[in-house]
Amino acid sequence: MTARVTVLYFAKSAELTGHRSEVVPLPVATSSCQLWALLLELHPSLAALQDQVVLAVRQQYVALGDQALLLADGDEVAVVPPLSGG
Amino acid sequence: MSSREEVGGSMEERSEAVEPSRDLIGLSSEPLSIERVYSSAVSPSCGAVALFIGTTREHFEGRRVIRLEYEAYDPMVQSELSAVCRDIRARWPMVKHICIQHRLGLVTVAEASVAIAISSPHRGEAQEAVGYCINALKASAPIWKKEVYESEESKWKENPECGWSGNS
Repeated sequence: MTARVTVLYFAKSAELTGHRSEVVPLPVATSSCQLWALLLELHPSLAALQDQVVLAVRQQYVALGDQALLLADGDEVAVVPPLSGG
Repeated sequence: MSSREEVGGSMEERSEAVEPSRDLIGLSSEPLSIERVYSSAVSPSCGAVALFIGTTREHFEGRRVIRLEYEAYDPMVQSELSAVCRDIRARWPMVKHICIQHRLGLVTVAEASVAIAISSPHRGEAQEAVGYCINALKASAPIWKKEVYESEESKWKENPECGWSGNS
């Protein structure tokens, strides 16, 4: 089963992909590293961020790993390069 | 923006109206007004407002910075900084008002990029809370800064405080 998820790209990831946001069908039951692998398939240029990126799922940070995630239609997943606020 | 009622105190204190504590978190594409940030934190119940202002530097590694560009994941900045405010209030219960304002978009060199004002009855809590607040913001607020150099090259900065930065 898939969910229509809005993927948001910020900072360097927006420059690498040429997108600020797009709606992507993603598996309902997945993990953060699976999600990252899917995004890499869509945008191979994101590989430049490998090891220096996390995701934000429904506005909660999720490190790339085996943590199980459940997605639903309308969810937001953000690609989060290293922060530089302040 | 959230506000909380303070509860408790002596009979005399309870009979007066107690000003609710405020967390004021904002992103602005206009230059920050330090006066407004201060006014948001000052309180008749407090003897101190501690202030931190982050400003933009002109040089990085020998190159001249001509401008900075900030972008943010707006709704998540609100939720992350609200969580920082909750942490501050848990650690320093005497803190009264917290005001955090951050610039977005184009910022020229020597402008304020972030301003934090925190009030407390005595200065110790406000000063400690402000130091904690800027460190926590740098570690957790989804805000990104790009430095643009004279050569028109640019670089997305990475805070050492951020757990997934190349600098940490």
